[in-house]
Amino acid sequence: MKPRSIQSILLGGTIAVLLAVLGAAAWLGFEAGEDEAEELFDARLATSTRVLAALVAAQVPAAGAAAPIVVTLPQALQSAPHDQASALGHHYETKIAFQVLDPQGGLLMRSDSAPGTPYAPLAAGFSTQRAAGHAWRVFTLRSGAQWIQAAERDDVRAELSGKLALATVTPLIAGIPLALVLLGLLMRYGLQPLAELARRIEQRQPGSLSAIELQRTTAETAPLVAALNGLLERVQAALARERRFTADAAHELRTPLAALKIHAQNASRAASEAERTASLQRMLAGLDRSIRLAEQMLAYSRATAARGALPLEPVALRQVVDDALEDVLPRIKEHALKLTLDSDPPVAEMPVRGDRDKLASLVRNLLDNAARHAPPGSAVRIELRADARGTRLAIVDQGPGVPPGLRERVFESYYRIPGSPGEGSGLGLAIVREIAAEHDATVQFDDGEAGRGTRVTVTFPPP
Amino acid sequence: MRILLVEDDELLGAGIQDTLSRAGYAVEWVRNGALALSALAQGGLDAVILDLGLPLMDGLEVLRRARGAGTATPVLVLSARDAASQRVEGLDAGADDYLTKPFDVEELLARVRVLQRRLRGAAVNILAHGSLRLDPGSLSVVHDGRPVPLQRREFMLLQKLLASPGQVLTRAQLEESLYGWDGNVESNALDVHVHNLRKKLYPEVIRTVRGIGYVADPPV
Repeated sequence: MKPRSIQSILLGGTIAVLLAVLGAAAWLGFEAGEDEAEELFDARLATSTRVLAALVAAQVPAAGAAAPIVVTLPQALQSAPHDQASALGHHYETKIAFQVLDPQGGLLMRSDSAPGTPYAPLAAGFSTQRAAGHAWRVFTLRSGAQWIQAAERDDVRAELSGKLALATVTPLIAGIPLALVLLGLLMRYGLQPLAELARRIEQRQPGSLSAIELQRTTAETAPLVAALNGLLERVQAALARERRFTADAAHELRTPLAALKIHAQNASRAASEAERTASLQRMLAGLDRSIRLAEQMLAYSRATAARGALPLEPVALRQVVDDALEDVLPRIKEHALKLTLDSDPPVAEMPVRGDRDKLASLVRNLLDNAARHAPPGSAVRIELRADARGTRLAIVDQGPGVPPGLRERVFESYYRIPGSPGEGSGLGLAIVREIAAEHDATVQFDDGEAGRGTRVTVTFPPP
Repeated sequence: MRILLVEDDELLGAGIQDTLSRAGYAVEWVRNGALALSALAQGGLDAVILDLGLPLMDGLEVLRRARGAGTATPVLVLSARDAASQRVEGLDAGADDYLTKPFDVEELLARVRVLQRRLRGAAVNILAHGSLRLDPGSLSVVHDGRPVPLQRREFMLLQKLLASPGQVLTRAQLEESLYGWDGNVESNALDVHVHNLRKKLYPEVIRTVRGIGYVADPPV
C-alpha cells in the first residue's frame, strides 16, 4: 500500500476542519438569525394587529358573521414571482393574513389570504398554528367585543434567517478552492526540504558517503539531516577501517608468504636430504606463524567489527583468567616461568560486566606477551583487585618492558617494537585495546618491579 | 661472490640465506639498517639484497645514505610495497632492481646474476676467458668444448677471478668472497681450491702472485 503523503494528510485535515468550522458558523448564524427575526416579526405582527384593531373597529359592526368582509388582494400579486415588489404590493402579502372575529368565533372580516375559520382559539397572545398546509404564527388581540388575529406564514421568517446564514457562509465556501490551492502551494514550499532530501538520497551512488547538504534547512529537517550525516560519517569511518584493515592485512601477509614460498622452493630444489629437511622445518615454522597471524587478524577483525552489538553480562574475571591461563600454559611451561596469582579480596570472583570469550581473548593476549618476552625462568605475577574504583587486572613481568615513548604506539595494529625478538603479529595489543574499549575498560603500561619489566593494568568500571 | 642480506624477518632472511648459500654465494646477513651501513662501509661486497621495511632505519634511508657515501655496490630492493610509485622511489633512491614479496627463488637468483653482470659492465652472464666459458646461471664451466665438473667453492673462486681479468686479488679478498666474515676458514683452504682448479683446467688460467694472492691473466 502506498503510504499517504504528509501533504495530503495536512490538506485533507485542513479541508475537514475548515468545513466543520464553516458549517458550525453557518448553523449558529442561522439559529441566531432565526431568533432575532422571530422577535422582530413577532413585534411587527403584534403592532399590525393593534393598528388593524384601531382601523377596523368602526367598520366591522356593519358586517355580520353571515357576510364577513373580505379584503382581497390584486390578482397579480397572487401569482407574482417570489421576491419582487411591484406597484401593487408584494407577493408576500399572500403569506400575511388577519381575521376579525366576534366573541363566538364568528368571522366578521378577514384578509383574502386568511381561512374562513379562526386560526387559533380565542385567547390573547402569540401561538403557532397549522392552516392550509403551513405553520402560521398567530397573534390574538381582544379589542372591545371583537377578537383580532394577525398571522404570518413561517416560511417568510425561515427564508430570512436562512438567507442571512447562507449569505454569511457562501463567500467562505466559494473561497475553499482558492484556499486549497494556496494551502497546497504553501505546504509544497514548506515540505520542499524534505522532498529535496529524498531526492538527494535517491540520486546517490552506493559508494558516495559524503555529507548531505540541503539548499534550505528548517528546524524540522535539520535534525534529520544531522542524524543522517552522523550515520553516514560512522559508516564511512567503519568502511575506511575495513579498507585499511584489508590493505594492512595484504601487506602484512606478504613477508610470511614470501618466507613460506622461499622455503618451499628451497626444499624442492634441495641438493641433499639434509638441505630438504632444514628447509621443510623452516617452512613449518613459517606456517605456524602464518596461522597465528591469520587467527590474530580474525580476532582483531571480530573485535573491531561488532562493537556495540555486545550483550554485557556479569562475568567473573577470576574465571576468565583461568580460561586464558589454560591456553597460555604450554608457553609458560616452555619458558619455565614462575607464575603467581595475587587476588585481593583473596577468594572473590572479581565481577565485571562483559563478554566472557572476548575478555578471555584480552587476558590471553596480555599473558601471551608476558610469556613471549619474559626471560626464561623469570617470575610473572597476575594481580586481581576489586574495590570501589572498579575491578583491576594487572600482569607484571620481568621482560624488556615498553619504553615510555612507545606506550601508546604499541596499541596500533601491526606495530612491533623495533628490534624486539620473536614473531609476534603486532595485533595482540590492538585486540586488547579494542576489547577493553568495548568494556569501558582502560589499559595502561607502567614499569614493572624496581623499574624493570612491564606492568600492564586493565581497569574495569565498577559492575 | 659476497652478498649482503639486510632483512629483519628471521624466517624470510633464513630462506634467502639458504637459497643464496646453496647457490654458492657467501652471505652476510644483518637485521637492521645501521649494521647494513657499517657492512657497506667495510666494502668487499658484490651485491646487496635490501628489505625496505626495517626497524629503526627504513631501507630507503639506508640506500640513500649508502649512495651518498659513494657506495657503488649493486642493490636489489625487496619490498612488500608494490605500488609503482614506491618502486620508482626505490629505484630513484639508488636501487638497481626491485623485487616484490612474495617472489620466486629462480627470479631472485636471476636478478642477483644481473647485478653481478652489471658490476662487470657486461650484457651477458657468461664469462669467457680464452677457450673457457663460465655460466653463473647453470653453474657450469666448459673448457675447449668439454664440461668441467667443479665444486661450488671452486666455481665461485673461478668466477671471482674471471670477473676481473688481469687484476690481482688478495688472499683476504678471495677468502671473504668464498666464506664471508664469520666462516671459520682453515688457513690453506684457498690454496686447496686453487690447486684443484689448476688440476681440472689445463693449461693453467690462475697465476700465483707470491705474497699477495692470485690473478687470472687475460688470454693471449
